[in-house]
Amino acid sequence: MKSLAAYLVAAIVLSAIAFSLGGYQTDVYRKLLLWITLALSYNFLFGIAGQVAFSHFTFYGIGAYAIVILIVQVGLPLPIAVVAGIAICVALALLVAIPSTRLEGFYLALATLAFAQLFIVVLNEGGDITGGTGGLTNYRLPDIFGWSITGPWYTIVIVVVMLATLAILWRLDHSFFGRACRAIRDNPEAAAAMGVNVTRTKVIAYTLTSALAGVAGMVYAFVDNTVNPPIFGLENVFLLLFMIIVGGSGNHIGAIIGAVLLYLLPFVLSPLIGHHHALVFGVFMVLAVLFQPKGLVGFWDHFATRRRS
Amino acid sequence: VQDFLELVVSATASGCIYALVALAYLLMTRPTGIINFAVGEWATVGAFAGVVAIGTLEWPYPISFALIMAFMFAVGWATERLTVRPLVERGAPILAPILALLGMLVVFRELISLGFGPDPQPVPGPFGFGRLEFGLLAGSYQSFTIIALTALVFVGTWYFFERTLAGKSFEAVAIDRRAAALMGINLSRVTALAFAAGAMVAGLAGVLIAPNISAHYLMGLPLAVQGFTALVIGGVGRVEGALLGGLILAFCEQLTARYAPIPAGYVQGVPLVLLIVFLLVRPTGLMRAREART
Repeated sequence: MKSLAAYLVAAIVLSAIAFSLGGYQTDVYRKLLLWITLALSYNFLFGIAGQVAFSHFTFYGIGAYAIVILIVQVGLPLPIAVVAGIAICVALALLVAIPSTRLEGFYLALATLAFAQLFIVVLNEGGDITGGTGGLTNYRLPDIFGWSITGPWYTIVIVVVMLATLAILWRLDHSFFGRACRAIRDNPEAAAAMGVNVTRTKVIAYTLTSALAGVAGMVYAFVDNTVNPPIFGLENVFLLLFMIIVGGSGNHIGAIIGAVLLYLLPFVLSPLIGHHHALVFGVFMVLAVLFQPKGLVGFWDHFATRRRS
Repeated sequence: VQDFLELVVSATASGCIYALVALAYLLMTRPTGIINFAVGEWATVGAFAGVVAIGTLEWPYPISFALIMAFMFAVGWATERLTVRPLVERGAPILAPILALLGMLVVFRELISLGFGPDPQPVPGPFGFGRLEFGLLAGSYQSFTIIALTALVFVGTWYFFERTLAGKSFEAVAIDRRAAALMGINLSRVTALAFAAGAMVAGLAGVLIAPNISAHYLMGLPLAVQGFTALVIGGVGRVEGALLGGLILAFCEQLTARYAPIPAGYVQGVPLVLLIVFLLVRPTGLMRAREART
């Protein structure tokens, strides 16, 4: 009950902010919320389940393209398109996960990296279906029961998706499944010996987080009302990885802190160093791995334990 | 036939480049288990060192090459010293140095784009842009230069691992770190040298490919993916595997580009599909690694 109230308060506060923002700020705010959503699900996949996968942003793209293609090209009504889009994400995630979660460590990273690159190739060559290099534009969110959802009301949709993602992942993290994921991350043999079905847990973790990324992608599709290949390229999945590591891998709060910090940093830095903020991200990442493997939330833990003693 | 033989030369040349990148991975991953994704960026660094030494300063070729190799040695050594050694000494999980090197990838790339701007920079080849014909085999000077230098590097590496004591100590570390350390092999020196050698080989690949594609700050990642694909095809454990994998990859790419009835854009997908297939079907690659003799 208490946590439900907390989610409600968060939803109201985050939605209230949406009504106070201008056009440009709304755009920044929406993308910030989407980055947090992605960072949360990527944190579960990378930080908690310990799978180094570079396909997370690809599923964001698959979700976005799927919903646009289903609505604009196929002409499905929105609720069916949403369900079908999720089904596509789940099916593709299973297709990738079942063979590739058998791979050890960094080999999974490379298989998913190849998958991510392949997705871009398919987008560029997809002809009229994917719109080629230019992507798809000139579409808008269909009305829902005669209501057209725009402006702050659409931002509320994003807030709800973000909080739902957080709620799902939080629940899972504090269940048997979450503990099984952590056990597999730290020692697969020991986890198997304790009766955890390693393969099934890995596949479910990958599929679920990828589907959550797909849902975020569906929401994204109507933020800019355009989807094109460069948005879903490799750059952004690196950024996502940096967010998790700088914020604190395996920690939901850390993922949120990392996402907010690295998303907003370029706005602060661009007057100083122009477009080279990626350099700062890289340096942050290296420093975090070297000196603070728990990320920024690690400082808080350190501080808290110090005060207690 | 003429057309096909021309393709053989150019495919062999690009296969050699992939093989060099694969060798760079292999030199580092064999003794340490660390897959250093920044090799692509090291190739970029090598190519831009070529821009400076050969293009801007117009030093003679042998001196330029020697200086670039020395510079790459320093780059690899410093990278190991700063980002890998502290983590290994602390006993961090193997993923930690891999992630740190991933961060270094971005640092290298952004430094290059900061220093040289986003435009491609030409690097002249050592013999200019001419054609060479050996009977039926014909190709650009640069292609033959690449093939000759790669052959030299692979023969040298093979000789090092098979015939010298230092090479044997590398192999010993690869087979069993603990046992090697107990036999008095200095692990951190082997690691440092592995990274320095990896950087040199990667840098060489960068300098050699630069005349064909121009030095560009984004050239690293495709090379890193292709080199890794070559490594996976050939097998992570053997020097010959890297060469074989590079050649197989390049021939698959160029033959599909020339003869397969698919749109040109999909040809970029060939190495990716090969990588996925090999990872799933035969993750040990075509050539098995050497194991401890029992």
